[in-house]
Amino acid sequence: MGMEHPRKDKGQGQMEIPLLSCTESAPALWQIVRTWLKIGTIGFGGGYAVLDLIHSELVIKHKWISEQRYENMTALSEMGPGAFTVNLLAAIAYRLGGVTAMIAATIALILPSFLIIVALAGVFLVWEKNLVVESAVKGLTAGVVGLLIAVVWDMVKRIPGHWCCFSVGIAALLLGLFFPVNPIWLVLMGALAGAARVLVPERYGKKSVQGGRNL
Amino acid sequence: MIPLMQNAAVYQNGWLTSSQFGAAIALGQITPGPVAISATFIGYKVAGIGGALVATAAIFAPSLLCMYLLEKFYLKVRGKELTNAIMHGVLPVVAAIILTAAISLGKESMHSVWQIAVIAGVAGLAISRKVSYGVLVAGAMTVGVFMAFVGR
Repeated sequence: MGMEHPRKDKGQGQMEIPLLSCTESAPALWQIVRTWLKIGTIGFGGGYAVLDLIHSELVIKHKWISEQRYENMTALSEMGPGAFTVNLLAAIAYRLGGVTAMIAATIALILPSFLIIVALAGVFLVWEKNLVVESAVKGLTAGVVGLLIAVVWDMVKRIPGHWCCFSVGIAALLLGLFFPVNPIWLVLMGALAGAARVLVPERYGKKSVQGGRNL
Repeated sequence: MIPLMQNAAVYQNGWLTSSQFGAAIALGQITPGPVAISATFIGYKVAGIGGALVATAAIFAPSLLCMYLLEKFYLKVRGKELTNAIMHGVLPVVAAIILTAAISLGKESMHSVWQIAVIAGVAGLAISRKVSYGVLVAGAMTVGVFMAFVGR
């Protein structure tokens, strides 16, 4: 309660909240929930595929946030854990209406998928041994493996061309394949290696980081 | 995200078989929301509707909390050289972990030759970015159904 967004007045229904600038205006809670529900219902594909939809809904159609702020928030959401889309939309909802809006909007976003997946899970678990379902799952699994490979390919292209980044990746791959290591440790290892690449040369010799012969 | 779920659900706790996990991920892909919704499926498998609710809340709560904190403190860490370097170190590791997950999922659930063709086809189309993920997953499933009638 105490964390409500300051922009929100007590008399909610009567007048819309005054516009703060011509590009950004604070919407009412129900407007936020309705829009997030819409994104959750038609946002097929998830992740980056939905970015376009989010952009056209929030920046172009409703003009709730400016282009500049939208881009900042996109970068911010990539740093957060979990689903990128959820992070982005949670951050925007927080900006628009505080903690209440953030929670309500996230529930609205997830609800459609939640209902669909519970229904599908029920069907799938009952019919699992059916020959057609079994074969469909085989196809699905193969498709998922293919998608994961595509995701890896995209990431590999984004890795900075530096031998230390590649060796960290290869080390993580070998460790992951041949030892039952919890992935969290591998991520920490990568973070340490990345930090060391900057900190070590800083302390010894002050060479340029881009030079890359350090570490 | 997917490798972490695979590790927790399949290897550590044995809640699902590998192929059930594959189905969970696939369902997460074809539903409109984010892929993390696969956790709902896993929760449902383990403990019914209650499990689904708990799993969904648990998978998204950290997102909300961290975005809240990031929003507050982002300006302080943003653009710092160290932050970037850490992200550069984490990126290849994450790529490797996802590849590991793909390999173990593939190894344990590939029983037919046509599945390899599906893997190659989906990977190629996804990389080319001409077809959306949902369509690819639906297509892979259709091939599976088709093969059930043709294959035997």
